[in-house]
Amino acid sequence: MPRDFWIGIATLGFATLYWLEAGKIRVSPLDGPVGASGLPNVLAYAMGVLSIALILRALLAHFRPIPGEAEAVETAPLVDRMRPHFRAIGMLALGIGYLLALPFIGYFLAIMVLLLAVSLYIGADLNLRTALVAILGAVSFHVLFVEFLHIPLPNGLLIDAVLSAGSSSGNS
Amino acid sequence: MEGIGYAWTALTTTPAAFAAVAGVIWGILGGALPGISPSIAMALLLPFTYSMEPITAIVLLAAVYVGAEYGGSIPAILIRTPGTNAAAATAIDGYEMKKQGLAGEALGISLVSGVIGGLIGWFFLVVLTKPLANVALLFTPPAYFALGVLGLSVIASLSSGSLIKGLMAGIVGLMIATIGTDPLSGVNRFTFGSPDLLAGIPFILVMVGVFAVSELLEQAGKRGWARATEEEAQTRIKLPNWAMMKRLRKPQAIGSGIGLFEGCMPGAGGSIAAFMSYNEARRWSKNPEEFGKGSPEAIAAPESANNTVAGTALVPMLSFGIPGSNSTAILLGGLLIHGLRPGPLLFEQNPDFIYGLFGGLLVANISLFFVGILILSPAIWLVNRPKPYLMAAIYALIFSGIYSIHHSLFDLYIVLLAGGVGYLMRLMGFPFLPLVLGLVLGYLIESNYRRSLLLTNGDHSVFLNDPVSLGLLITALVFVVGSAARDYQTARKKRQGSETAA
Repeated sequence: MPRDFWIGIATLGFATLYWLEAGKIRVSPLDGPVGASGLPNVLAYAMGVLSIALILRALLAHFRPIPGEAEAVETAPLVDRMRPHFRAIGMLALGIGYLLALPFIGYFLAIMVLLLAVSLYIGADLNLRTALVAILGAVSFHVLFVEFLHIPLPNGLLIDAVLSAGSSSGNS
Repeated sequence: MEGIGYAWTALTTTPAAFAAVAGVIWGILGGALPGISPSIAMALLLPFTYSMEPITAIVLLAAVYVGAEYGGSIPAILIRTPGTNAAAATAIDGYEMKKQGLAGEALGISLVSGVIGGLIGWFFLVVLTKPLANVALLFTPPAYFALGVLGLSVIASLSSGSLIKGLMAGIVGLMIATIGTDPLSGVNRFTFGSPDLLAGIPFILVMVGVFAVSELLEQAGKRGWARATEEEAQTRIKLPNWAMMKRLRKPQAIGSGIGLFEGCMPGAGGSIAAFMSYNEARRWSKNPEEFGKGSPEAIAAPESANNTVAGTALVPMLSFGIPGSNSTAILLGGLLIHGLRPGPLLFEQNPDFIYGLFGGLLVANISLFFVGILILSPAIWLVNRPKPYLMAAIYALIFSGIYSIHHSLFDLYIVLLAGGVGYLMRLMGFPFLPLVLGLVLGYLIESNYRRSLLLTNGDHSVFLNDPVSLGLLITALVFVVGSAARDYQTARKKRQGSETAA
């Protein structure tokens, strides 16, 4: 089956879920003739109709293909074809990793690790130059956002713990 | 005269003039980087505009658009890699001139033609916007609803990819706009009990996600772009002499004329204008045989066209609030962030802003000439930086910039989610612009739809009884049906052609 057929099935499923959620929207005494669920319901129907149109068009193209315009048969191995998508998922995972680490290790360390990890992931060699780019990059971002723009970026639980331990030992 | 006074005040009492120059610099550098389109260069700056004065913020964003349209021609001419889609037409003859040792001349023609096109676009922006905005005074709530539907339909019909997918993308944008507390009844919609979703999903997060993050995800799977050699990096701009300027008058006029028309048309944009003007310039040239072999005219026409579009594309956005391209959608987002609604009321209530914007754009177009000469070496240096470091820095800039808006990690997750969705949309052939437009126009469409029905106690015939609304809805229908008929005819012709060949 052509790709658009499966896209149509997926969007039809999405339209159904959206419609079910729209049905749960509370009716308010402030509602006019069209309540808060009015537009969401219309959108769900419209998405459903367009999904069916996409499925029908894909089926038509599949069963009555234009000669010489059949979908290109991929000859490359599946792993090679999927490689760019895996790399995109990896890039996304690096971003999620940064967000998970940020509250613990703080902005400065997190942004330095992000710069280093993304550089290496996209193809930089692990050498002094890459390490310097990450360190100087983190310093630049810290100066710009924390010192100059005064954005309250997280210090990090780890850094806070070290600082508080340092100050308590200093007091004693 | 009053407008000149407002513009002068804005330029002398706010940092708008500084923002215009800074925006041009950022735009040229961003446009010079392959993969960073004008809209991405603008989206990266959008988080920083939150804390700025409205005039400074919007001049900055609009100036980025102006600068990026020229910036794209630098790698197009030097390394045959267009920095922007619109610069693809410039690459054809620009690179041929470079091979003949005329890279400096090609860059000079590109810069001068861009400045001339930009100034012509600015002139028509100033002349056309107010009269068109006054048309919107005739609009009632049903007409505003119909205008939103028309904008979405036109963009969905004209966007790249199929009509069905364009319409679906627009609906997804409207669906995202329904998330949060309903502004009319106070009821929560699609919040799933999360307090972070009560205020809805700010469109800036979706814009940065689908434009910038999805581009980074795509770049992660690609090899590095071409780099300038030592010799190419030493290139200096050579401005055209008087005789050459005389020769370039006709292609520049053709480019600017097409840019004027295409800029005002939703969904057309700089790249279509650039290629159309390339073809028309060849048709009207005394030396059409030189096109494709390094003709100066073939650089002047597309460069004038795409810089004219950078001005005239603002006409429908400022007059009716309907952006016709990704870049103007981001600009509209910038206006809405600062509580400014495009249309006739903008001229009545915020004349200082609108004329200040015109003044800022004039400064941006003039400064493009000087900045363009001075910034060539830094731009080439930037293009020559290793791709991994640039991509890492852009990722870090996105995270830091978005966090600085609401100081919320939740926003960053939304940006990543939008980036993932954007990547899937690229993969499946869905255009971005209808999605962004649906998101930006969501409130306009829903509030006017419900307001209209409130006035008539739920009678939908109000949309047909209002003449403006009826006219706009018929136009929307014509666009959708016309686009569907065009797709059908194309498929039929292909079938007939292949059957005849068989």
